[in-house]
Amino acid sequence: MSDTTSSSSRIGRIGGLLMLALAIAYGIGGSQIEYAFASDPLGPRVVPMLLAIILAVLCLFYLKNPGTAEAFPTGQLLVKIVAVPLLLLASALLLEPAGFAASIFLLTFSVGWIFGAPLRLALIGGVGQAALWWFVFSYLLDVYLPTGQLFG
Amino acid sequence: MNLDYLWNGFTVALTMQNLLIGLAGCFIGTLVGALPAIGPINGIALLIPIAYTMGLPAESTMILLAAVYCGAEYGGRISSILLNVPGDAGAVMTALDGNPMARQGRAGEALMLSGLSSFVGGVFGAVGLALFAPLLAGLAIGFGPAEYFVLMVFAFATLGSMVGSQPVKTLIGCTLGLMLATVGLDATSGAYRFTFNEPELGDGIEFVVLVIGLFSVSEALLILEHQASGVTVIRELGRMTARLDDIRKSVGATLRGSVIGFIVGVLPGTGASVSSAVSYTTEKRISDTEGTFGKGDVRGLTAPEAANNATACGAFVPMLTLGVPGSGTTAVMLGALMLYNIQPGPMLITERPEVVGGLVASLFIGNVLLLLLNLPLVNIFARVLTVPNWLLVPGILVLSVVGVYSTHASVFSILLMLGIGIIGWLLRKAGFDMAPIILGFVLGHVMEVNLRNALAISGGDISILFQSKISIILWILAGAMAVMPFIAGWRRTKVVKTATS
Repeated sequence: MSDTTSSSSRIGRIGGLLMLALAIAYGIGGSQIEYAFASDPLGPRVVPMLLAIILAVLCLFYLKNPGTAEAFPTGQLLVKIVAVPLLLLASALLLEPAGFAASIFLLTFSVGWIFGAPLRLALIGGVGQAALWWFVFSYLLDVYLPTGQLFG
Repeated sequence: MNLDYLWNGFTVALTMQNLLIGLAGCFIGTLVGALPAIGPINGIALLIPIAYTMGLPAESTMILLAAVYCGAEYGGRISSILLNVPGDAGAVMTALDGNPMARQGRAGEALMLSGLSSFVGGVFGAVGLALFAPLLAGLAIGFGPAEYFVLMVFAFATLGSMVGSQPVKTLIGCTLGLMLATVGLDATSGAYRFTFNEPELGDGIEFVVLVIGLFSVSEALLILEHQASGVTVIRELGRMTARLDDIRKSVGATLRGSVIGFIVGVLPGTGASVSSAVSYTTEKRISDTEGTFGKGDVRGLTAPEAANNATACGAFVPMLTLGVPGSGTTAVMLGALMLYNIQPGPMLITERPEVVGGLVASLFIGNVLLLLLNLPLVNIFARVLTVPNWLLVPGILVLSVVGVYSTHASVFSILLMLGIGIIGWLLRKAGFDMAPIILGFVLGHVMEVNLRNALAISGGDISILFQSKISIILWILAGAMAVMPFIAGWRRTKVVKTATS
């Protein structure tokens, strides 16, 4: 028990330090915003710099007591957790070249499989969802979706 | 009191198109509420781009989103009772007495009773909203930029004191949201801020991209991590009518829940999860003389259900009158309003009476529709709970991708959504709430503009922020709210103990 709490508060600390780094980078970035004129006394730099200071102070409080964080996934679960965003990335990049139907099939089939569907059901689910959503968006709601070069 | 806006609102809400939209919203909302995988914010976030690309007018979109919001508060009880897994954040307390009732074979009764108390809470909230909104809008008409800025400081102070157990995390969330809002073109100076020379960031981060990333994408990852094993749906519903005895017994609890729910809803930034917890613990203190709470007491079931529905309506009060959202979900709706180039604030009720009136009127109609949907059709919604995650989660992801893509037909938006989703997932694992980020983001732009306008008026003299009576009162209230968590710190641990025991 004490082992998991110490590791989870360590995760919280790392997160806090990352946010502190963000605050500093954001503040420096804010102080270097270029502008020709400003019609108000503050200008575009002051609010970002104030926010950077506020975040930095809050991060110090947070680092003092990061509270409880959930443990990180390991093993097979970690692979799955990493796979889902990668699949989203792949289908986003494929959306325009391969078209909506193909990229949505890839997404629904593979994510369905990762969520524990047997391969056959995942395939059926993927084809079904690709068809269903194409019908809903293209015909019922008239939303523009790319057809892609794959199927003309 | 002038209620003309409301009567005109009924003529807006009762057109065939808006009635159908409201009905669809109620149905979708109940589904969204019932499914533990999606809450009202996700549901609304996914619907905004669809409504927008369909070309719905602002009032119809608001009616749709409000119906989804209220419907979700009704639907949340279904999975709380049948699965012992709350369907949304406002239904956590409903499970404490609802699920024991279901395990005693009284699931049908629990669903009926909680449906009725949801209705009472919802109507109470709608009445309160209708009466309160013009009053508050009238008060706020004297607000200048300085008062506005202080009002938003007050909103963040309330948020910090109410949401979650860790005020620091809530405030960090708000600050992150405010920081995200600074991205893009600064209108007063023409400077590009934090765009990294990426032309797609010139207009700032798209609201829909942020909300869908933070809620839907990160939710999918959390569901994957917590894939519930061995949760069983209770299928024996038992008799499907509420006993007259139980109704009589729960009248007091329902009314108290409605009042608490409405008040908590009106406070900026606090949503249904707070109000249902407060009403449950209050009811337990008042009524639990025989130790029956937590074992299937109808009063423990009806109080939080009435509260979360009253909160949903109450949360519209500050949103429509001050432009400060009363909950995470209304923050998202405020963002939707801004997509239509409608500037929220006290002038909204006079400038766009069809939007405000139509929304308020639709809440009355929506609650009747929801009661009709939720009593006889509860079986259908209960069956939805058996949809497996391997169908549901890919479906949510498809809606996310299409929603983000459809507004600007840009793949960059999807990638940004994905990045935000991963960061959201990490933050949620560290115990951060996503609603403050949304609130900060929605208010960020208005807050900065008002601060800079105020200082432009005073020529850079900061004392303008402390000059008017209204500002001073708001500063005092904000200060009181900010120290409250420290005073209440020792009490909270006690309350949590009694709530879970």
